[in-house]
Amino acid sequence: MKGFLGTPAGFSADVNLVLQIAMGIALLAGALLARSKRYSAHGACMAAVLLLNLVMIVLVMWPSFHELVLPRIPARLARQYYAVATLHGALGAATELFGLYILLVAGTEAVPQRWRFRRWKLWMRVELAIWWVVLLSGIGTYFLWYGAPHLPL
Amino acid sequence: MKGYVLRIGAFAALLAIGAVSATVRANYFARAAENQPAAISITIDNFSFTPKEITVSKGTKVTWINHDDVPHTVVSTDKKFKSNALDTDDKFSFTFSDSGAYRYFCSVHPVMTGKVIVR
Repeated sequence: MKGFLGTPAGFSADVNLVLQIAMGIALLAGALLARSKRYSAHGACMAAVLLLNLVMIVLVMWPSFHELVLPRIPARLARQYYAVATLHGALGAATELFGLYILLVAGTEAVPQRWRFRRWKLWMRVELAIWWVVLLSGIGTYFLWYGAPHLPL
Repeated sequence: MKGYVLRIGAFAALLAIGAVSATVRANYFARAAENQPAAISITIDNFSFTPKEITVSKGTKVTWINHDDVPHTVVSTDKKFKSNALDTDDKFSFTFSDSGAYRYFCSVHPVMTGKVIVR
């Protein structure tokens, strides 16, 4: 199915890009909710973004990575096309896992006491910052894969 | 005089043998070419299939070659054939044994489409 952003990308890649940018903005809004002490809304916003991102990883990003990148690494990691996607994938997976861990610690009793962090604000801010780095690397990956076909990759 | 006639006769016989052998050889190779399924190449360049549409006869083996710097796939819309991701200079072949129109596209870049007509 053809995409709608005017690049050669497919529909799912375009939807993913738009949703990822929306999720990045939603996380910033979620951080502002915490600042204004609306913690329930903050938790719901962050949890929704994390779970939606997990769905997008399972449905769009992992299948694409599995088909196009995984069979070519590490042999072709020197090529930008694979290097940027691999970096984005590795950092993105770590960020999603860390986000899920924060969600479990902050929103449930599932994590044993000795595995819980105490400096909430610090780790949540670190997660938010890394998320945005991953988002920007994802936008870079999109334009490298679909937006700049004329460049030698 | 007799020797002269013999020489002419031998020369004529040699010419006849040569002509017959050339004809047989030409027929043999022409038949072999008819029986041999043709092979056709489609190149993938600058995010497009070239030629975009081709007509081939039954039994033709079509090979797609990716000359782009990014991976592409070749996927039939009716799921008759599907390649793995083709990196630069990778190839994918499919032999068309049934007549019909086969539309295909690149699943990574669905704007890339092509058609093989088999007669």
